[in-house]
Amino acid sequence: MKNPREIKADEANMRTIVSLTSAFESLSSMKITQTKGKVLISNQFFNEVWNIYKQIRMDVMFNFGRAPDEKPIEKELLILITAQGGLSGDIDQRLIKEFRKHYDSEKNDIIVIGHHGAQQLEQIHIHYTMYFDMPKKDFINVDPIMKIIRKYRRARVFYQNYISLSKQTIEDLDLSEVVSRMGKIADLDTVDDEKITERNYIFEPNAYTVAAHLENSILRLTLTQFIYDSRLAQLASRFRAMTAAKERSIETADDLHKQYSRAKRMLVDVRLKESLAGLKKLRAKGAG
Amino acid sequence: MPKRELASTGEIVDIDKSQAPAGGTQDGRPTMMVKVYAPFKVYFEGEAFSLTAENETGPFDILPKHHNFLCMLVPCNLIVQTASGARTVKISRALMHVKAERVTVFVDV
Repeated sequence: MKNPREIKADEANMRTIVSLTSAFESLSSMKITQTKGKVLISNQFFNEVWNIYKQIRMDVMFNFGRAPDEKPIEKELLILITAQGGLSGDIDQRLIKEFRKHYDSEKNDIIVIGHHGAQQLEQIHIHYTMYFDMPKKDFINVDPIMKIIRKYRRARVFYQNYISLSKQTIEDLDLSEVVSRMGKIADLDTVDDEKITERNYIFEPNAYTVAAHLENSILRLTLTQFIYDSRLAQLASRFRAMTAAKERSIETADDLHKQYSRAKRMLVDVRLKESLAGLKKLRAKGAG
Repeated sequence: MPKRELASTGEIVDIDKSQAPAGGTQDGRPTMMVKVYAPFKVYFEGEAFSLTAENETGPFDILPKHHNFLCMLVPCNLIVQTASGARTVKISRALMHVKAERVTVFVDV
């Protein structure tokens, strides 16, 4: 058994871990509040743009803004949105697990957003085409990713979705399906005042160019929204992991404190026994 | 919440604020509602007399009672004329939507 001094040192170390995990927990909680507020504000923006897009779209064939004669790569591009670093709980592992159910090296190419995901793929020897850092600032420039997406016929995004502090889910969605679903057909013969057509609107430079631009913008916004959602889910997952780590470290520290008291008591008992034994010996000698 | 009556049924219905004309007057001059915003930042929101921007064709103004309009803006200084003076917002990419005395500029779209 360890001596009390060693146990006391272990307990002090564990109390430091308790303080650290508490600090991380508070930090995560603060960041969640900030990010949640921002996501709510941005959702209003996205919804308004989506609404315009829904009213203006004239066909369901979403083609990622490619020119009609451009030939896309026939593989499906998989986009993995993961955390930048560790300390985000098990959420990235869960995402990689879901991704592996879908992944086929012959049919898929991969790009990763977030260093942690890239690391995880390297560990399991899965090759990815490109890796991007998880954006830290509010403004996210997704144009470099858009350029890659445009080369492929299909693209699927694996991202993390925030439900609540205790629940975050892994989602995977086909990008073209998402955009097509949102932009339903507007039949010119049945359009009412709500629809945006050349009959009731002036377009600059022209309706086709504005619709094509909006199609690109919608793809850009969809990707941005997935990144915001993932960021929030990662923070919540980190919060959960830190809460669990804090509770575990408190339990361990309390346990170490009990061990310390027990060891100290045992030490006192041993010394007492030794003293009594010594006293007995002295008494025996005196009597002899 | 303002109320209105349906002429056909006499039923009282709520006015959908987003669809209702948003114009008014200030100092006897007609105004329109203008909102210039990006996903995380509102650059301007309020009543304005006019708005100046630039598209591929060149600079143009939006005044109250403008026809429904959807337009892609090019990098420019967006100028909003209000009762308290002109407000300038520098933009690199934006979409402008005008409908029912309401002008919305979606920045970075």
